[in-house]
Amino acid sequence: MSILKLENLGYSYDRQKTMVLEGLNYEFEKGTVYAIVGKSGAGKTTLLSLLSGLTTATTGKILFEDKDLSKIDRYRFRSRDVGVVFQSFNLLPHMTALENVVLSMDISGKGQRNKKEAAMELLIKVGLTEEKANRRVLKLSGGEQQRVAIARALSYHPDIILADEPTGNLDMGTQDEIIGIFKRLASEEDKCVIIVTHSPVVAESADAVLELAPLRSPSKSAS
Amino acid sequence: MYILKNAWKSISRSKGRNILIGIIVVVIALSSCIALCIRRAADRAREESLASLQITAQISVDRQAMMENARDQAGDSGGHDQMREAMQGADELSLEELQTYAQSEYAEDFYYTISSSMNAGGDLEAIDTSGSSSSTSSGEETTESSQDVPELPEGMEGGMGGGRQQPPGGMGTEGDFTVTGYSAYEAMTGFMDGDSQLTDGSVFEADTSEMVCIINEELAVLNGINVGDSITLTNPNDEEETYALEVIGLYTTTSTQTFQGGPMMGFSTATDPANQIYMSYNTLKSIVDQSEANAETETDSETGMELTTALRSQTSGTYVFSDVESYEAFQEDVRDMGLSEEYTVSSSDLNAYEQSLVPLENLSTFSTYFFLVVLAIGGIILVVFNIFNIRERKYEVGVLTAIGMKKGKVAIQFILELFMVTFIALIIGTAAGAVSSAPIANQLLSAQVTSQQSQVQQQMENFGGRGGQGGAPQDGGAPDGGEGVPEEPEGGFGGQMASYISDINASIDLTVVVELIGIGVLLTLVSSCAAVVFILRYEPLKILANRS
Repeated sequence: MSILKLENLGYSYDRQKTMVLEGLNYEFEKGTVYAIVGKSGAGKTTLLSLLSGLTTATTGKILFEDKDLSKIDRYRFRSRDVGVVFQSFNLLPHMTALENVVLSMDISGKGQRNKKEAAMELLIKVGLTEEKANRRVLKLSGGEQQRVAIARALSYHPDIILADEPTGNLDMGTQDEIIGIFKRLASEEDKCVIIVTHSPVVAESADAVLELAPLRSPSKSAS
Repeated sequence: MYILKNAWKSISRSKGRNILIGIIVVVIALSSCIALCIRRAADRAREESLASLQITAQISVDRQAMMENARDQAGDSGGHDQMREAMQGADELSLEELQTYAQSEYAEDFYYTISSSMNAGGDLEAIDTSGSSSSTSSGEETTESSQDVPELPEGMEGGMGGGRQQPPGGMGTEGDFTVTGYSAYEAMTGFMDGDSQLTDGSVFEADTSEMVCIINEELAVLNGINVGDSITLTNPNDEEETYALEVIGLYTTTSTQTFQGGPMMGFSTATDPANQIYMSYNTLKSIVDQSEANAETETDSETGMELTTALRSQTSGTYVFSDVESYEAFQEDVRDMGLSEEYTVSSSDLNAYEQSLVPLENLSTFSTYFFLVVLAIGGIILVVFNIFNIRERKYEVGVLTAIGMKKGKVAIQFILELFMVTFIALIIGTAAGAVSSAPIANQLLSAQVTSQQSQVQQQMENFGGRGGQGGAPQDGGAPDGGEGVPEEPEGGFGGQMASYISDINASIDLTVVVELIGIGVLLTLVSSCAAVVFILRYEPLKILANRS
């Protein structure tokens, strides 16, 4: 059963005058890494926003576990069912890396014990040291902030992980590490990982690629 | 719980901004605390003064009402003559009539006085500080009262409607002494208030008819009179008519006030406190009766008025009430009992009470306005501050809502932050207010009293020193309720100032604390409203997209 399903999805920023997405149909399943690719302006980030529940479809719908995403509590969906790694990380700069992760756990409302310990474990798992975990986010490098954003997205164990250009500013070594983390999440923890990327390397490492192009229907190609 | 934690972290993160908000709230709390304390103290002083106030009232001719009646009846023409007739025909109520109204269930007590003006007889000499010969005082002015007869509501209403009683006729020669007869000790307010004090001998029995009296110690010294000696008083209209009285007591008085009256008053020895002779009502009444019995009367051929050599006298009654309600009920009750509209019931105590509160009321009103202005300005500053604050933290709102925190919870966090700062500042402001409210309130009140006094003084001077303060109370007996302490009255030339409450206990109490907490909550909610509106309008996607 697909965890997310796009049905004739369309989106416009200015009330149907210029459609960014139109007639999009697709299904996302657990245990798979998806790459959403396409040229700039094809609507990749818009689709990510739609999938993360930050905005709602202009036409058509997105089904999360067969429920219309526009009709369920999207705050709850965002805080519990989907973990988003934003392109610009969107971490709270006045907090430490650890506090950012713990805050997400708090907001999710999932009764976890020893949140601090669990958050620290997670940060170490994504490659941060304990010392860096206690630093303010602003004092971390781009790659380290990326790892904090991933840890935050994973902290409350969502079924879906969305990542917008997660390797955009990273060196090759770090890029491989991050892709490795996503692949393990899908294969070992049965997560549905959806990555928006320009990188052919990332697209190649994905299980499925959703290519977006204006006025062109999407195609699915197994890799 | 995490909202509270977040709020606290956020406060400690933005120390500068929160200290600034705190300072604003401390100023608001301090000002509000002082203003509320003053208001509360004023209310308390008003209530306590009123509760401890013994209200007395008099019934007197309402000449203003009579004039208006006469004018209405006369129409446009001939009004003047009719008015004059009406005024001349206005008689004070007799003692019997006054006693009838004393039957009212609302009157707690009733006492009365009779006063007259008599000359020195034999070797007796009046104290004359004016340098003019008192015994030759002539003219048709009649002085009939002293400052120790406060039941005469002198100047109480100002103008014609005053309660001052005039003797019938309007003729007679003024004597050297003002002689007053009292029906009860309560009527001797000079002694009751402590202005006058017996220094030798004893006071007369209130109901005695014996020819005994008490005189001022200064008068006694001047004439070498001791207790047990006799003095002779004469009828100023008929020097042959003499009355011998035994002096059974001497008194002193701290009062230097003289009665304000007609233009001749300043030259009359009878107005000098040292020339006041006190006796029982019955004693003076018997003298007056005897004088009337022996009087010679004749009719003036020109004016047609009857002239008499009888002693002039006037009787006045004082009703005592337990509270204001009784006094007000009495005013209606006497009308039901048949008191004509030509008479008015008035209370000098209530006037004095109201006068004594003027500076306090002014201060209370001022502090109320000040409080409202501070609250409004403080509120506006806080609202603006919050709007800037929320705009500054727009990104934070975007991130929090993007990761699933509901807007309502974000708003609660922001309100909590403000509330915590406000609460701490409120405690500091209240503590500072508690320490400073009492001295500041008394200093402000003192300034108000001084201002009021100089205003009244100026008015008096403008009237040539003869009053002009329509409602100025006669006596220095300002209500001394609760913490209120009446200031010593200051005698002016021919008039006096009111006693003002010049000391209040403006300390903080539970009511003020509760009000301050209410203000704190209100300020927080009002100033947070702007923040809440902004938060509810923000869309996380737009915020984050703009940021990107």
